[in-house]
Amino acid sequence: MSGRMRSATAATAFQKQWFAELTAGARAGEQIAVLNADAPHEIFRALGIPYVVSQWWASIISAKQAGPAALTLLAREGLPDFSQQYDALPLAEQLLPGSERPWGGLPAPAFAVAERSGDVTAKIFEEWGRRPGTEAFLLSRTGGDPAPDRWWERVAHDWEGVFGTPRLDLLQAEIEELIGWLERRTGRRLDRDRLAEIMRLGNEQAEWNRRTRDLIAAARPTPLMVSDSIPAVMVPQWHRGTAWAVEAARALYHEVAERVDGGAAICPQERVRLMWIGRGLWSDLDLYRRFHDEFGAVFVWSMYLAIAADGYARYGDDPVRALAARFVGFTDQLYMPPWSSQWYVKEALAHGVDGVVHLVADDTPGAGFISEALEAAGIPVLEIRANNADARSSREAGIPDRIATFLRTRVAGA
Amino acid sequence: MSGLDGSATIGVIGADLPRQLVLAAGAVPRRLLGSWRPAVTPEAAELLGAVDIVAAGLLTELLGGRHDDLAGLVVCNDSAAHLRLFYLLRELGDRGRLPFPVQLLDVPPGADGPRAAFARDQYRRVADYCAAATGRGIDEASLRKAAAAESLVGLARERMRARRRAGRCTGVQALSAYRASLTEAPEQATAELDAATVEQAHDRLPVLVSGSFHPDATLYALLEESGLTVVADDHDTGDAAWLGDAVEADAVDDLIEGMLVQQRRRPPLSPRALAAERAQASAAAAEAAGAVAVLSLARELDDAPTWDAAALRRTLEPRGIPVVTAWRLQPQGLTEAVRAAAVAVRAEAAAAGAGR
Ligand code: SF4
Ligand code: SF4
Repeated sequence: MSGRMRSATAATAFQKQWFAELTAGARAGEQIAVLNADAPHEIFRALGIPYVVSQWWASIISAKQAGPAALTLLAREGLPDFSQQYDALPLAEQLLPGSERPWGGLPAPAFAVAERSGDVTAKIFEEWGRRPGTEAFLLSRTGGDPAPDRWWERVAHDWEGVFGTPRLDLLQAEIEELIGWLERRTGRRLDRDRLAEIMRLGNEQAEWNRRTRDLIAAARPTPLMVSDSIPAVMVPQWHRGTAWAVEAARALYHEVAERVDGGAAICPQERVRLMWIGRGLWSDLDLYRRFHDEFGAVFVWSMYLAIAADGYARYGDDPVRALAARFVGFTDQLYMPPWSSQWYVKEALAHGVDGVVHLVADDTPGAGFISEALEAAGIPVLEIRANNADARSSREAGIPDRIATFLRTRVAGA
Repeated sequence: MSGLDGSATIGVIGADLPRQLVLAAGAVPRRLLGSWRPAVTPEAAELLGAVDIVAAGLLTELLGGRHDDLAGLVVCNDSAAHLRLFYLLRELGDRGRLPFPVQLLDVPPGADGPRAAFARDQYRRVADYCAAATGRGIDEASLRKAAAAESLVGLARERMRARRRAGRCTGVQALSAYRASLTEAPEQATAELDAATVEQAHDRLPVLVSGSFHPDATLYALLEESGLTVVADDHDTGDAAWLGDAVEADAVDDLIEGMLVQQRRRPPLSPRALAAERAQASAAAAEAAGAVAVLSLARELDDAPTWDAAALRRTLEPRGIPVVTAWRLQPQGLTEAVRAAAVAVRAEAAAAGAGR
């Protein structure tokens, strides 16, 4: 057993401090932005506009148990409280009385910017734009067409070929529209050299994540709990394009390398390597540890580090076009068949996993294709269809028993 | 592959494909519509995950071979459900589960500036796809013939709308005529639209139905049995269908330019438009049709209309037109939910009328 990762503790502490400073600045009159995860954050960084990512903020709102009260207030405004909650929660949080707001609440942003994923994100950001002091801007979301094979080998350099010129032309032009929109409202000018430097730092961060992922894939036994790598990867992701984020990604790599060199193991008797696909039940740490003793079975993989390794790097001379290439099909990489299944198989093989637990979420199309591709590669899959598994404990959903049975009956070595 | 008159049929899922483009390629466009209570196989449900059940019904029909007579299928990225369906159909097509290749049509909201450039490219691709599917080129003669035929549909559509407003065509008749027209050649479409009429003008409570598109007339029938009449609607199998709008053009590029102009003028559809745009358009439609109330109906997992409703209320209620909502409709309990909504509409309309 090894203790909690320093990188994870440091990232979590940093994020809290950063949020306090951001909100203090906003209360003192600084313009801030709320952005969804697929909006081109780098433009805001280059223009010096602090931003909060709505999905991250939603996770804090949920973790602080403020979600239900906020959604009730949303319903009182005549808006649905059951729809796309990850985007709706930050909007709803604005309605909470001061004392109930997590971390003191998010001050009204000057800018609310989103990429139109799905049918309702645009309308949620439109609602942001109706709030006093906030204006909204929306970017188009084109469909994933074409979809050439093995995207992860090509997106960093050959993104033009992967996503296609028309899609990139459109998003690049819309990012230029966004730049002009922000310049007019802030009186600032985008420094394109600064944007290029931000892209360079983001790529460097992605390269460290790639090294970390590769190191963990090759390490026997596994040196860290997946639950530890998540904050250590995700917090720097929200600060992408800063020297701090590069340093955090580098420090994570070195901490993992140190552990590997020192022979650290979360389970020294590791015999079986498992991959968990789907939304993590990472709050339920017990679940991930409980197969160590009986089966020597260890969860070695999370999509958070893996997508940070493969999904973000984009090299190119024109930073705006490269930025368009980062976001034009970002979620396609994870969720669109056949990209999703090809990538999971690649990752499963690279990590030498003996079995996969696939929590099939209803928000992913073609989940069956993923299981099928893994099985075809000789990797047994346990599909768990527990759409509300996160609302109940994994124990209630019977997940531990099912995994144990799966290990006994289908996974060699367990 | 071919209809009785020898022409090919191209399937369409979604509302963004102008019929004239398909007609000019020598094919009949057939919207695949589905139903409110579709049969859904476990395979289709599992593949799609949580989406509007109408999409799951369409996938079931396609995998069951019900549309194997099509020469091709165009899927519009006009809703999240349809985009998801396209991803699955592309993959299933690659596996040989469909007898035709599937083509995406991706028209970003607005169709202006860089979005117009993207849309232009998309329409060109679809024109090429249709021409390849039929094996006939698009030329001046076929463009003119298509324009003439579709503009007759447009005239019949206007005649039907006038009858509908005058109480001479019920909502069920109008919806059925729209649905039929969206699946047939212009001559039959014209006949369907002209046939939608009642002898005796009726005087039931006129309402506009907003929200999810209606794959069939089940809900309209329930509403009209409950003393309402649907005089207008803002979804794409009703008044907001892209039907009967022709562009006079000698070349494909001109046709596409004309279609982009039309695209910008079309009524905004819920899954892609902003709530404020929708509210303006729906309010104008409600007033033009003399609706005394608006009923917003949304299927379970078709959430876009639920985010429109607040704006609809803000726009309509000051004008004395109440808005009633029935959300998360699913096959189970559908009849009861719609009847209850009709009762609520009558009560709200009476209260609003008393206040006028
Ligand atoms: S130890 Fe030094 S040289 Fe080696 S990877 Fe880390 S920073 Fe680079
Ligand atoms: S089985 Fe693994 S987790 Fe359990 S005590 Fe031994 S090394 Fe630690």
